[in-house]
Formats: sequence, C-alpha cells, structure tokens
Amino acid sequence: MNPIVLVARREIAVRGRTKGYRYGLLVTAVLVAVLAMLPKLFGGADDHAIGLAGARADRLQAALSAQAAQDADRSIKVTRYADEAAARAAVAAGDVEAAIVDNTSVISKTVLGTGLSVLLDTAHRMVTTEQNLASAGLDPAKVAQAQQVTVMSRVTLNGSGEDATVRMVIALTIVVVLFMLLLQICTWVAMGVVEEKGSRIVEILLTLVRPWQLLAGKVIGLGVLGLSQLVVIAAVGLAAAQISGAVPHLPDGTYGVVAGVVVWFLLGYAFYAAMFAAIASLVSRQEELSGVLSPATMLMTASYLVGFFVGQSPDSTLARVLSIVPPFSSMLMPVRSTVVRVPVWETALAMGLMVAAVAAVLYAGGRVYQRAVLRTGTRVRWSEVLRRHS
Amino acid sequence: MLEVEGLEKRYGDTVALDGVSLTVRPGEMFGFVGANGAGKTTTMRIVMGVLGADAGRVRWNGAPVGHDTRRRFGYMPEERGLYAKMRVAEQVEYFGRLSGMAAPDARRSADALIERLGLAGRRGDDVDSLSLGNQQRVQLAAALIHDPEMLVLDEPFSGLDPIAVDALAGVLAERAAAGVPVVFSSHQLDLVERLCDSVGIIKAGRMVAVGTVAELRARESRKRLRIVVTGAEAGWADRLPGEIVARTDRSPLAAAEEHERYDEVILVPTDDQEALRLATRAGRVQHFGWQEPGLADIFREVVA
Repeated sequence: MNPIVLVARREIAVRGRTKGYRYGLLVTAVLVAVLAMLPKLFGGADDHAIGLAGARADRLQAALSAQAAQDADRSIKVTRYADEAAARAAVAAGDVEAAIVDNTSVISKTVLGTGLSVLLDTAHRMVTTEQNLASAGLDPAKVAQAQQVTVMSRVTLNGSGEDATVRMVIALTIVVVLFMLLLQICTWVAMGVVEEKGSRIVEILLTLVRPWQLLAGKVIGLGVLGLSQLVVIAAVGLAAAQISGAVPHLPDGTYGVVAGVVVWFLLGYAFYAAMFAAIASLVSRQEELSGVLSPATMLMTASYLVGFFVGQSPDSTLARVLSIVPPFSSMLMPVRSTVVRVPVWETALAMGLMVAAVAAVLYAGGRVYQRAVLRTGTRVRWSEVLRRHS
Repeated sequence: MLEVEGLEKRYGDTVALDGVSLTVRPGEMFGFVGANGAGKTTTMRIVMGVLGADAGRVRWNGAPVGHDTRRRFGYMPEERGLYAKMRVAEQVEYFGRLSGMAAPDARRSADALIERLGLAGRRGDDVDSLSLGNQQRVQLAAALIHDPEMLVLDEPFSGLDPIAVDALAGVLAERAAAGVPVVFSSHQLDLVERLCDSVGIIKAGRMVAVGTVAELRARESRKRLRIVVTGAEAGWADRLPGEIVARTDRSPLAAAEEHERYDEVILVPTDDQEALRLATRAGRVQHFGWQEPGLADIFREVVA
C-alpha cells in the first residue's frame, strides 16, 4: 500500500480515537445546533401581548389590530385593564409585555424591543392625530380614511430582505467555523511534526518513507478528519436551522455556498498546514511551538477578523481586494460570495492565485521540513534551511 | 555485504568522521566500539541515510545504497523513538506496513516478535505506559518486524536487564545465523567480545582497529605473563627478566591466608623460562601462564 495512505490512516486512527477529538466533535455539533436555533429561541417575540388601560383604549386597540393585520408574521393579543395599577401589575407579572395607559405612557419591565416600540408608537400617533384632527373640526371618518396608508413594498437588489439577514448569519458562521477548524487542524499538524521530531521516531520513519510522503500523509490524514468535522457542522447546522424553523427556507444557492466553503477550506488548509508543518520542523519541543507559530497564527487571525468586516461590507474596495489576495481569500471569498453575488472572474482569479500560493508554500514548506526535521536540539534558523546550498 | 568506504563528515570546524571504512559480511556480527563522541552514531546514521556524508560511500552488495534498499534494513537509532500514544502491537505492525509488508504478514510477524521479546501481555497497551526497558523491546521489534536484510542498531543493549540482554543477544545471533549482517554499537565490551565475529574500534572519527577479536589480540604485540606466587620473600619479583606491567601483593583471599605472602605480577618477559625458574625458586607457584588480553585491554591500549 502507498506509504502516504498508511501514514494518513495512522493519523486518522490515532487522532480520531482520542477523547479530545470525539468530544470536540460532539460539543461542536451541539454548539452549532444551538446557534442555528438561537434566532428562533430569542426571536419568538413577534407575537406580542399588549395591555391597555384608561382613555382611548378602544381606539388604540383598533389601531394596533389594523397594524397587525398588515403584517402576516406579526400577531398581537390585547388585554384591557381597569386602571393603571392593574396594568402595572399585569406587566410586572409578565402577563403582557407592555401596557399603554391613557394613551400617554407606555409601561414595560425593561426597555422595549424596536419592533414592539414602533408598533406602539405608531398606534399612539394614529390615535392622537385622529383626536387632534377631530378637535380641529374635521370629520373623523374622513380622517380615518386619510390615515389608511398602504405600506411601501420592499424591493431589494440582492434577494429579499429576509434572505440578506440569513445570508449574513451564514457568512459569519462560515468565518467562525473556518477559522476554528483551520487553526485546530493546522495545530495538530504542527504538534504531530514536533512529536515525531522530538521523539526521534522520524529517524526510523525516514528510513522507510520519504520526507514528503510522511508530510503529505500527515496533512491528508488530519485534513480528512477536519473535513469530516466541517461536513458534520454544515449538516447539523443546516438541519437544525430548518427543523427549528429559524430559517424557513434557505436562501437560493445555499448548497452551492456550502460546496464553495469546502473547496476554500481545502485550499486554506493546504496552505496553512504546509506553513505550520515547516515552521514546526524547526523546533524539537512542544513548548517551543506556540512561540514559533505565532506569526502564522496571527496571519490566520487577521483573516478571521477581516472576515467579519467583509461579511458586513462585502462591496468595499478592501473586501474586494482582500478576498482575491491569498491566503486571505481562503477565508474571505466564501464569506463574500455568501453575502453578495461575486463576479465570476473575481472568484476565478482568487482561486487561481490561491492554488499558486498553495503550490509555492507546499514546495517551500516541504523543503524546509526535509532539511530541518532531522536536526534536533536547538532551534533551526530560517537562514539555514532556506539557503540554496545546504 | 555492507561496505563503507572513506566516510567524512564535519560540522563547522569539528571533524566528526575522518575517513571511516568498514566491511560487514553476510552473517557477520560487527561490534562498533568507541568512546562517546568518537563517531559511531554518525557513521550509523550515514549508513541509514538519515545523515548525509561530506565524502565517502556506502555500498550494499556492491551497489550504492538508495532509499528502496534502506527500506529493507532494520534500524534502531541511538535516541529511541516511538509514538507514545499508540498501542504496542499496532505500532510494530505500522512499521512493518511502512516497510512494504502486506497487512496479514505484518500482523503475524508483529505477534511473533512481541511474543519472542516477552511483551505478549502488553500488546494492547499504549507505549508510554511501558517501562523504559519494555519500550526498548518494542523499539527492537520495530527494527526487526520486516525481517530486514541488514541490522544497524545503535546501543541496543543499553538500559536492558540481564534477561533482556540475553533475549536480545539470542535474537541477533539468530538473525546473523540466517545470513544477515548485524552492526551494533555498545560500551559493554564483554558483551561485544562474546557476541561479535569482528570488532571496529573508532577514535575521534578514525577507525583505529578493525578485525576479529583474535586478530586484534594478535596485533597486541607484547605478550604478557601472569604469575602468581605465594610464600615468597618480598622483592623477589624485582629480579624477573622483562618489564613488570602490573603487580599486587594483596591476595583475593587475603583474610584466609594472611600469614602467607601473596604476589601477582603481570610481566612482559624477555626470557619466559628464566622467569619460571625464578618463580619456582621464590615460592609456591599458583599460576603461571600467558595472559590473553580482553577486548577491554585492547580498547584501552588502542584508544589511549
């Protein structure tokens, strides 16, 4: 059997049976499921219970009902109370979220959410305007007629408004997941390299397999574990979001987005794994690892942080440029293409550049690894492994 | 047959190897002896391709040694290396697979070796739960799993208890008997003397003596007489013809025979018969004979 396959299988078998991996996968799956259901758990407040007391309660109730009737996703339940004291008690007991007293004040436990606040204010304005106009001598019926305003229809250029929010959530989730996963698996690669170098087992291994085969097997094996994690996360996340009804229907092209994420994950992983492995081969002890890895980790973290920015303003020049430049593109392009429609040439250019960068890093990283991995003891200097004749 | 010719290696200004050559024939057990830092490990690492030489060459059956040839060698490096979190049998088997064995063969061979090296009860345990001596047995099993065409073992006996030493010596002798050249380094000279067909002594990167133990003894030009006499008068030995290399008047049985004088002399004689006559005249001769220098004696003399 091909040595690369043997090495990869060992990585999968040994790493896959550690408690860290199994529990990690379980915890991640649960976390993703909860995150996916979160909007539903907190966002259930589109059904409002409202209390009314004192003057103008009838007119307010009519105004509120009229508003609720215009919005299919919103329903209200109105309860009438005899006086302010009763309304206060109801709010305090949680029977209603808010109560309007005498059409002059709103009582609530804490500051009201924007949605409900707008609803109540609008009702108040309607009733008060109506009253003011009536007292100015206008016919209440005509006033009521004049107030019948049809809500503006929403036209968005990039899908429906609801889609945009969902896309944003998906994009930000992608950034977080890609970052966590890349960092975790690349750290495994680095630790594996140091384990073999530090224990000198690499001396025996290299009499049996070639350095690049050993490195490739390790990267591929751990990559398979990472990819399976990504697939679990994606499947659990999408399923949970749909089951819970948090996302009634996924935006068009979600599956395409997921496929894109997988491709970008693989490219990003190849890039960072080669980089982490090369750096790790310079040291002989795990304790030295985090120190030498920090520039690479910082590069990854920078991509991550920029990812949030790109998710929010995907059409800014910075987002457009960075989503094409490797290695940032591996994290930013999937985010950007989730939120907006990215021109094909930009995606193609980004992918072409990234593939080239991956090839370069694999080549350079492989050479560094080959030269440094047998040199145990003090840290190997970059100048020693990058020189042409050594 | 392994042929090493004129290996040179330097680290900066330090010369690690300065023209090391040696030959190990099929079925020969070659003991590699030298002080710490003399170049044993460097030589073995170059033979195994783990280290590159500045000059010189390594040939196996007349051809330069490449990666595919080395896969058929068994190697035990100076610094032991195993995956700590991998089970014993699984790990030994893994090395077998890496050397190109099919899965069932690797499993069978691993089981047999584990049994042979007395680890049968530990085959499912993680390596890091084993004692150092047992880890070393696993290391050895990893070097032997693929029935190698040649064995290169760096300090295989260090840290083993006498029973493990015998087990290992048995395994190595068996391989040598099957026609496999075995090269190992050791500081336990009595062991090397007992096991090896030939010995190489290295000093500061140069081979200072190579040959069978008998050949090395023959090189030892000055023959030594060991004479033990009791009941002689003090000073009798001063008249012996030749150079006295060592002497003692303390009997190994001092307590029991305190009333009688004891003399033991190591002599490089100019006239052995005259020495015998003097000894019989001086007292009761307990021992009179040529002394065979041990490997330790040869080593000290050659390296000094």
